[in-house]
Amino acid sequence: MSVLPQREAAEIREEWLGRALSTLPADRPAAEAAISGLYHLIGLPPPRFHWVPSPITALATVPPGIRPRPSETVDDVSAWPLPSRFSSLMRQLCVALDTQAGWGHRSMEQLIHQKVRNPLTRSADGSLRMPLLSAHDSRHRIPSTWYDTQCVSWIAHYDALRRVAGVRFTPEQSRQLDLWAAVARSGSWWWPREGVCVISERPVTMRTEVCGDDGEVRLHGADGPAARYADGWDVHAWHGTWVPSWVITDPSVQRIERESNVEVRRCAIEHIGWASYIDRAGLRLVASAPDPGNPGSELRLYDMRRETRVLLAVNGSVERDGHRRRYGLTVPGFLDDPIAAAGWTYGLSAEQYSLLLRRT
Amino acid sequence: MTVTLASLSRQTGLAVLDHLERSASIPVVHGLQAQGDLIVIPLPVIASSVKVWSDSQWKDVPGEGVELLRGAAPGGNPHTLVADPGTCRWTTHVLDSDQLAIGVFETSAVAYLLHPEHGATGCPPGTYVIRRQREHEGRRTRLVAD
Repeated sequence: MSVLPQREAAEIREEWLGRALSTLPADRPAAEAAISGLYHLIGLPPPRFHWVPSPITALATVPPGIRPRPSETVDDVSAWPLPSRFSSLMRQLCVALDTQAGWGHRSMEQLIHQKVRNPLTRSADGSLRMPLLSAHDSRHRIPSTWYDTQCVSWIAHYDALRRVAGVRFTPEQSRQLDLWAAVARSGSWWWPREGVCVISERPVTMRTEVCGDDGEVRLHGADGPAARYADGWDVHAWHGTWVPSWVITDPSVQRIERESNVEVRRCAIEHIGWASYIDRAGLRLVASAPDPGNPGSELRLYDMRRETRVLLAVNGSVERDGHRRRYGLTVPGFLDDPIAAAGWTYGLSAEQYSLLLRRT
Repeated sequence: MTVTLASLSRQTGLAVLDHLERSASIPVVHGLQAQGDLIVIPLPVIASSVKVWSDSQWKDVPGEGVELLRGAAPGGNPHTLVADPGTCRWTTHVLDSDQLAIGVFETSAVAYLLHPEHGATGCPPGTYVIRRQREHEGRRTRLVAD
C-alpha cells in the first residue's frame, strides 16, 4: 500500500475528529435542515426543534407540549419509535454503500477501516460518549444503538471511501450520506420524536489527550472539567476514565477510602501520587526489601485495604530531572513479602523474581 | 561494533530521550531483566507455565525491530525488540498459565529491548519469554501500562 492513501485517510480522520470534538456553537439552520431531510426519508414532516444546552438537559427535561409515550424512557432511547427507524435507515444505507463499493476496493476498504473508522470509534468511546454516560448516570457502556447511529466513525468511513478510494455512490445514496454528514458536522447528539426533535448544543470545553498511534484521543482534565457545557454542567475524566469531580478537584485520602469503585480510587491515588498517598493515608508498612536488579532501591509493601496491599517500587531509569519515579502496584492481600509481591506482578515466585539481574 | 543507545536508535529510527546516556555500550544480561512494565525471562526459568505451540508461526525480527507493547499514556512509548536481521525470530502463539506472556523470542545473537525512557538492555543468545505486569484491582487483575 502506498503512503499517499494512508496520508489521505489520516487527513480525513483528523477532519472528522475535529468536527466531532468541536466546541463551536452548533450551526442550527444546517443541523435542522439535515435532520428534517432524514425525517422526510422515513416519511415524516419536519419536526419542531427543541435546542438544549447539554445532554443532561436533554435527558432530564421534556420539551414543552410533549407527553412522552410510556415506551420513550431515557434508559432505552434506542427503543423509542423514531431512533429505531432512523437506525434502520442508516443500516440500509450502509448495506447499499458496501454493495456499491463491491469487492473492487477491498484493500482500500481495509485501510480505511483501520485508519479512519476504528480509531474514530475508539476516540468517540473515549471522549464524546463520556458526557452521555454521565448524563445517563451509567458507569458501563450504554447499550444504545441510537448513539452508534450518530457516531462520526461510519460517516467518515464512507466519506473516505468516496474521497480516497474513488468509490462512486448513486445520487440518492450520496444525498442521504450528506444528510448524516451534515448533522454530524453541524450539531451534537439528538433525540427524535414525532413532531419534535430535542437536540443538544456542543460542549464549550472539551479537553482530550492523544492515546493511540492512529490519533485516538480520550478525555482528560487534570485540573478541571474535561467537558463543560454552556448550562454549567460538566464531566470530569482522568486519562479516559469518567470520574466524580472530587477526583480532580480534591482527591483526599478520606474520599478515596469512602469510594467503592476501585477504578475511581486508582485514578484519585494516581492524581495524588502513590508515594504521597501512602504517606498521607498513613498506610502501615508490612515489610521492605532491596529490589533485586535495581541497586540502592527498596521495594516497600504496605497494607492498603481489605485483601489488598500496595507495593511501592522505584523506577529503574532516571527521569529527565535526575530523580527516579516511585510508583505503586496493588497486589493481593495474602502477600507479605515484597519480593513475592513484585514477583506476583509478573506471575513469578519470590525465588524466581530474586533472580532479577537488571531493571531499567 | 559496540552497540549503544545511539546506534540502536539509528538502526530502528526510534528516538530515545536525550537525558539517557547514548554512547555507553549496552549491558548484555545473562538472566532475568525488567524494563518498566515488561520482564524478559529465560524460557527454562518458567518452562512449567509457558508453552510455545508446536505449530506456532514464528516471525523474523526485522532490523527496525518489533513493537512489543506501547504505554497507554499520551503518545505512549513503545517497548521494541531489536536484533540484526536473520538472527532473531519471535512468536505470539504462546500459552501462559498466568496469561501475562506477550510472546517468546529465540535469538542466535544478542537481541535488544529498546524503550525511549527506559533505555536499552541486551539479551544473549537463547529463548526468552516476555511478560507484562499486572495489578490486583478489586477481584480482578489489571494489566499495567506505564
